[in-house]
Amino acid sequence: MLSFLYARQSGLDDPVRLRRAESTRRVLSLELNHNRDVARVHGNGINTLDIEVIDGRYMLSGGSDGVIVIYDLENNSKKLQYSCKTVCTVGRSSRHVHKFSVETVQWYPHDTGMFVSSSFDKTMKVWDTETLKPAEEFQFDGNVYCHHMSPVARKHSLIAVGTKDPKVQLCDLKSGSCIHILQGHRGEILSVRWSPRYEHILATASTDSRVRVWDVRRASGSLFTLDQHNGDKSKASSEAVNTAHNGRANGLCFTADGLHLLTTGTDDRMRLWNSATGENTLVNYGKVVNESRKGLKFTVSRGCSPEFVFVPCGTSVAVYGLHSGELITMLRGHYNNVDCCEFHTDYQELYSGGKDCNILAWVPVLRQPDIEDEENNSKRGGTQAAVNPAFEDAWSSDEG
Amino acid sequence: MSRKRALIADTFCLMKRRRSAADAVTGDSHAEGAADIRSSLQNLMTLFSRKLFNDSLPPVVLKHQLYSLHSDKTSVDKQLNELRASGELLMFQLGFDSEAFALVFAEDYRAKVLQGEAGRETLETVEKFLDKLIPGCSDLSFNKEKMLKEFLFTDSEITQLVKSGVLTVRDAGSWWLSIPNSGKFIKYFIKGRKAVLGMVKKSKYGEILKTELEGRRTTSHVKFQMKYHIHDIVGAELVECIQTTSGTLLRYVDGNIN
Repeated sequence: MLSFLYARQSGLDDPVRLRRAESTRRVLSLELNHNRDVARVHGNGINTLDIEVIDGRYMLSGGSDGVIVIYDLENNSKKLQYSCKTVCTVGRSSRHVHKFSVETVQWYPHDTGMFVSSSFDKTMKVWDTETLKPAEEFQFDGNVYCHHMSPVARKHSLIAVGTKDPKVQLCDLKSGSCIHILQGHRGEILSVRWSPRYEHILATASTDSRVRVWDVRRASGSLFTLDQHNGDKSKASSEAVNTAHNGRANGLCFTADGLHLLTTGTDDRMRLWNSATGENTLVNYGKVVNESRKGLKFTVSRGCSPEFVFVPCGTSVAVYGLHSGELITMLRGHYNNVDCCEFHTDYQELYSGGKDCNILAWVPVLRQPDIEDEENNSKRGGTQAAVNPAFEDAWSSDEG
Repeated sequence: MSRKRALIADTFCLMKRRRSAADAVTGDSHAEGAADIRSSLQNLMTLFSRKLFNDSLPPVVLKHQLYSLHSDKTSVDKQLNELRASGELLMFQLGFDSEAFALVFAEDYRAKVLQGEAGRETLETVEKFLDKLIPGCSDLSFNKEKMLKEFLFTDSEITQLVKSGVLTVRDAGSWWLSIPNSGKFIKYFIKGRKAVLGMVKKSKYGEILKTELEGRRTTSHVKFQMKYHIHDIVGAELVECIQTTSGTLLRYVDGNIN
């Protein structure tokens, strides 16, 4: 660390290098910390989490009971122990609450005055955060599995919606209606994602095992379909030609620079694609257990080098290296299946929510004090925290 | 806990790299990698029981068995593709699992196929096919156009190839490349895999030490060597591999159908 600081000071290194190295070190040391937890409000499983991009301060969560909660993640209390409190909730007593499970929530990308939620009650509601009343409501014919608003859009304010219907619908916030339909899939749309690089590029994943990439300005069909065998038709059986996965494709995530796209499928595989050409980079992550019947929400770190993928796998969150494909660690702590996870870029923290109604905050471990300091402390007659002599261990050594 | 080993990013391992760079010769590492895979393949091939099939099959190894020997799956895949492109290794789609691929050394394959064909009238066609296949082509399946136009086979020759077992039907007008007489292999393999997985599942707590499993008496269902099956179930991630102080522990993973 000191060598990095010196190199930065003397100009040998790019300033970004120190930041990246430290971010990577922090992500590698993620663990549960008893000083930090999130208030438990949901009575049923948590399906989706979203942290706003402007300040990184407020987090939205949507649950299977239809309840939407907003948490304040910032610690202004000057104490180490902090529990993220709820700012407000759209509870079951509200007149406008969703009737069934909320599947996706997302903050409006440009400010926190608005957020959008979609649910199995076949509606998508645009909420005003101040009054917690829906400003707009879109009705659909089938359960809404997912929606996404482009984080970089300046020329349009479209929300892409994936429902039970094989047609991807684009709803416009300005006019309040569904203005465009993308046809091409043959099964339910489980996940939609806009590219963080180009505001017109949209990726959709469906139960027909195909992942399509669209340019919404084009009148005709998709740009291309992701093919796991990269056009090598000899490898697949003839039904599986041109598919992204051998089962349902249910998760999508672009990397932060938008150059790569990750997809997960119920064939227990995760694949990394070049988002410009649709080529399978053939990074082998091994078996990524995926039994989700709805979409899977996973996330990629930002600002580290190498980047990490956080995927909910059963009751734990698996951390993989993005380009190497190796399993770095499994974050265990939930009591039941994990459904969603979200990465906080500024503090390198991970929030995960699952069926056990808990949102767990995975916080980087603080650096250990130097060995010299420890010896000084012990000479002074005790560790920094007061330890009852009954709990002091007199048998383990400090070596190792 | 101070004793917990923390994960360290590569950027922080500068001292280690500087020291090891002085000893190692970086130019050879690429060639070493490929040789590494080849030697692992050869090791695994020795585990294959030839006598079981009366020496009619070449030694077959499954691709995911290599994953249990090497930790970086992506580099294993890359090196296998290089070996296939150079014509040393052949890959086959076995049919019982879309992700299970069989690997056979090209010379072994050629030798066994010609040995099996000796004395039959399909010998010439098979030889012609093998000559076209082995140095150049690394496809797993062939469709009719390719066979007729590129390889210049006639319909009757294609029928002869299917009869001899080198091609199996995939769907109307396309064929998988296959190993002749491999039906028995697949049958014993699936049975053996199920039996070994059952052994792990029935153990107390659904887990067993690898060394103990290797020492267990195999039932009549398990025809291959125990180590062959263990590499298979570890590589296909049908069991979880946990390092303990008494060695490697294999724990049955729930949610497996077979």
